[in-house]
Amino acid sequence: MSGNAASILFALEKVTKTYGSITALDELSVCVPPGAIGLLGPNGSGKTTMIRTLLGLIPINGGSARVLDMDVHRRQLDIRRLIGFVPEDECLFPGVTGVEFVAYAGELVGMPSRDAMQRAHEVLDYVGLTEVRYRLVESYSAGMKQRLKLAAAIIHDPKLLILDEPTNGMDPAGRKDMLALAHDLAHHKNMSVLFSSHLLPDVEAVCDHIIVLGAGQLLVQGNIRELKAVHPGSFEVRLKEDGTSFSQQLTDLGCAVQRRGDMLLIQIPSGAAPAMLWQAAAANQQQIRHLRSQRSTLEEVFLNAVERTSCRL
Amino acid sequence: MPIIDQGYQHWSGRLTGHRWRWLAITHHGVKIAMRSYFLRYVLLAAWVPALVLVTTLSAWGLLERKSKMARTFIQFMQFMNPGVVADPRHYCGAVWRLAYGYFFHVELFFAMLVILIVGPGLISRDLRVNALPLYFSRPLRRVDYFLGKLGVVVTFLGMVLIVPAVIAYILGLLFSVDISAVRDTFGLLLGAIAYGLLISVSAGMLILALSSLCRNSRYVALLWLGLWFVSSVVSSVLTAVHHQQQRYVYHPPPPSSELMTRQGAEPLTMNHAVASTAKKSDVPVSRNWRALLSYTANLSRVGTKLLGTNAAWKQISLLEPTASGRHRLLVRFGGPWYPWYWSAVVLAGLLGLSLCVLKLSIRTLDRLK
Repeated sequence: MSGNAASILFALEKVTKTYGSITALDELSVCVPPGAIGLLGPNGSGKTTMIRTLLGLIPINGGSARVLDMDVHRRQLDIRRLIGFVPEDECLFPGVTGVEFVAYAGELVGMPSRDAMQRAHEVLDYVGLTEVRYRLVESYSAGMKQRLKLAAAIIHDPKLLILDEPTNGMDPAGRKDMLALAHDLAHHKNMSVLFSSHLLPDVEAVCDHIIVLGAGQLLVQGNIRELKAVHPGSFEVRLKEDGTSFSQQLTDLGCAVQRRGDMLLIQIPSGAAPAMLWQAAAANQQQIRHLRSQRSTLEEVFLNAVERTSCRL
Repeated sequence: MPIIDQGYQHWSGRLTGHRWRWLAITHHGVKIAMRSYFLRYVLLAAWVPALVLVTTLSAWGLLERKSKMARTFIQFMQFMNPGVVADPRHYCGAVWRLAYGYFFHVELFFAMLVILIVGPGLISRDLRVNALPLYFSRPLRRVDYFLGKLGVVVTFLGMVLIVPAVIAYILGLLFSVDISAVRDTFGLLLGAIAYGLLISVSAGMLILALSSLCRNSRYVALLWLGLWFVSSVVSSVLTAVHHQQQRYVYHPPPPSSELMTRQGAEPLTMNHAVASTAKKSDVPVSRNWRALLSYTANLSRVGTKLLGTNAAWKQISLLEPTASGRHRLLVRFGGPWYPWYWSAVVLAGLLGLSLCVLKLSIRTLDRLK
């Protein structure tokens, strides 16, 4: 495993983890830079096992892993001091108020009691739970509990924040707030975020970088902007009227034309110029209302990656 | 940006090391438990026997000094052999041991009660609200979690058992006639602390194991009550039946009119039967294993060894002029007389069982979905 430690958030090298006959991680190798990282993958793809590995909670069967330049075998506790984790499930410390909950979370990491209490008030302000901080946590709504867990995870100002399905069960307003907080932490507060979610728009709203897992292997990894790169020679076109004759002409000229809703996806032959689209429109007395180079959506990136794995298996 | 909305601020404080991390769990657990008014009342009531202990030791100190105030106390000591009161300095160690023995006998009840209030929810509530991922995703090991929870029980039992015992010892010494009392009684102090710790750790591990088996604290409380009361009742009933059998073997049932006057003017009691059994039975009383079925009886048996109460009764029994008198006194007030290590083995077994249950029922990873 090589590379500049400062530029690597975590790195797994040929990590294998099995549960009996089930292989959760299959020689997974991934090297991730600091920043906002989305962790994607279908159910059973190994996302949770990967998070457990990063937290040093499970022994791995093979390979090596380093988080924040520390070996997960040897320095699990040190790693967890620098990580904040928001679990997916509803989980609470029972019988405490919101501010006690967060302060206790800080004390468990090793913060002095007084600092933890002071800091608990600050982070509760930040996540928007100021008004309810003296209420028993059992009385919180689902959205409040998620924000409370986020406050508990960031109380010690971690270098890496792991969010496991943080918007599950939240109403649209709560979801928007949670995404805004995650985005703010990742982009303005100098905190790396690993955001595991099934909801691609959520990942897209927060992250710059994604990792897609499938069957315990790395399917796709990269910067979202780069993965959603422009497809050369491929265009999205919307006409004012029905474009049957327009489509027919382009097909005759060797273009691949596909209708998607009111949009036409047109792949022009290699070497041809986009001007042929204007010429075909003029010839068919059509008015082009929308024309732009085609980009992949994150959903397409994800589905293509998963389909490739399915074909391989 | 308004000054009240400064957003997230970085924290540059220093985190403490891993070694004492469990203390945070203990501190939190004690804080939460102390919110119960009932627990506070019980703790307050548990200090009443400590006041009696302090009074007894102080009174004995005054007696040693032949203080005038001691005369007041002597009239409350009529139940004691006059020889003990006549030479208080010689019997100082024995009286202190007996006083501590009675103190712990009463405090054992309060200890069980405190555990009944504090213990059941320690782990079961965490299981019910799925708190374990919150613990184990932080720099905590399972052993830290268990130690922290055990610390809660030990703190409260320490307040009931160890702290009053130590304070009583110090006050007793202050009233004592000379410093040589330290030499006679220092072993007792260590024994009292050891006994307090034994109860705390043994009962603490047991309640944690029970608490880890169930998500409902009420069921755990019922389990604890069962362990405490039912085991004591079963043990007592079996012991009584055994004594009754022995009595019939060696004393065929007399006519009912003779039953109350068989041994002179004294009524025939269970202790007489035991005493006569001890003298005549092929199976001596010291081999009676039935007390082992009671959890608290096992704690008491090891306690008598640590506090040396049986030895104290032996010393006092020497004042009895006859062998049968000595024997009767020992059987009546001393005991139990079966080997203390039997109970120690039972307690060690329960401790091992508790550890196994905790190890199997609290797994960090299964809870982290």
